[in-house]
Amino acid sequence: MTQAPVLKIDTLTKKFGSRTIIDGISMDVTPGEIVCLVGPSGTGKSTLLRCVNGLEDIQGGRIVFEDEPVRAHSKKIIDVRKRVGMIFQQFNLYPHLTARQNIVLAQVVVHGVDRRSATERADELLARVRLAHRADAYPARLSGGEQQRVAIARALATNPHMLMFDEPTSALDPETVGEVLAVMREIAEERRTMLVVTHEMRFAAEVGTRMVFMDQGKIVEEGVPRELLAQPRTERAQRFLQSIRH
Amino acid sequence: MNSFSFSLRAIVPYLGELQTAVLVTLAMSLATIGLSLAIGLVFAVLRQSRSAPLRWFATAYVEFFRNTPLLVILYFAYFMMPVIGLRMSPFQSGLVGMTLHFGAYMTEILRAGLIAVPHGQYEAGHSQGMTNFQILRHIVLPQVIRTIYAPLGNQLITIILGSSLTSAIAVNDIAAWMQTTGSDTFRYFETFLIAAIVYAVLCQVINLTRIYIGRALFPDNR
Repeated sequence: MTQAPVLKIDTLTKKFGSRTIIDGISMDVTPGEIVCLVGPSGTGKSTLLRCVNGLEDIQGGRIVFEDEPVRAHSKKIIDVRKRVGMIFQQFNLYPHLTARQNIVLAQVVVHGVDRRSATERADELLARVRLAHRADAYPARLSGGEQQRVAIARALATNPHMLMFDEPTSALDPETVGEVLAVMREIAEERRTMLVVTHEMRFAAEVGTRMVFMDQGKIVEEGVPRELLAQPRTERAQRFLQSIRH
Repeated sequence: MNSFSFSLRAIVPYLGELQTAVLVTLAMSLATIGLSLAIGLVFAVLRQSRSAPLRWFATAYVEFFRNTPLLVILYFAYFMMPVIGLRMSPFQSGLVGMTLHFGAYMTEILRAGLIAVPHGQYEAGHSQGMTNFQILRHIVLPQVIRTIYAPLGNQLITIILGSSLTSAIAVNDIAAWMQTTGSDTFRYFETFLIAAIVYAVLCQVINLTRIYIGRALFPDNR
């Protein structure tokens, strides 16, 4: 049984000036899939995510999200972004708003939810990421792990059809990585569609339904995470996996 | 031999006019603050614009008015506007001159505030489906206000004190009161002193108001 893909990427090319960052990548994501993008830094994994919600414009190929072509500067890009949740490496919480207000804002401003329901939803999500007691705290008073959990709650608040994580644990202290990954596991159990750029191989192996190994702007290898990790077919993937084991 | 003796008696009959003068200075300063903030916001955004002509236009405005004396601009507004057919009261010409001059400074203050907002804030807003205007309104401006709130204090004081120059174009403010009362009574020292104290008190009141509003606006005081 194959479902129609939520996201279709077809021979995508992204350049910064004369440098090619993404070099003709094609991939589809079907509903409920948890795709983990791995590979050395500077290979365009984060850039790929940013192209998918139009934070970067593209130089070639096509991205289609739920039948909507993604183009960075088109008016329609907002319709795509409303349906995609994004979690950033640096959290990017709004520093002038409390944790709760961070989760309320887009619900009210972008989706037209009334403030009271938005606040109820925010409190419910804060409880789910185990931060109910921090609802009134400003981001500056939260630890990195707490901030990232608020950011996840913020992304979930508007019920996105797909979540994108851009190295969500890379800016965290080692002790707080676990609490963020735990929340991500729970979200994964709801069979939400997720596109995750990560260096957490154990997480990828246990939670991911597919692993995509990228290098120098190309997909080098993809497959079931456990299999790819245990027996990478390409020499490039072997070398990469070896290097991160130490 | 020194015949000077300090006496406020001669000034007393003029205190009623001083009250009016204080109101004029206050009105001129507050109106300038409001209008120059509005102008400053527009030009600060234009200076960040993707369109080069808009950026140049905004830069030209800032550089012209920042580098010309307020007095010259006030004379322009007062004497030249009627030439091109714009009839304005001294207060109105004063307000136009003050707003153009201080708008240029406000542009730079607000621009500094805009630059201080990290790029990731815009990206977070975009990723949530916000329009540029929504991002400005709900994410960027609240942070800008926070950043510029302290430097703004200086600017408010400069505006109040700068408004004294409008007395040169017949605005009946505190400085104008000082000149007429001094020459009417020959009690220059006393009138100058009173004017100085009134300006100082006015500046303090405005600044303390700013501080208290700030405490209410930013209770966390991060």
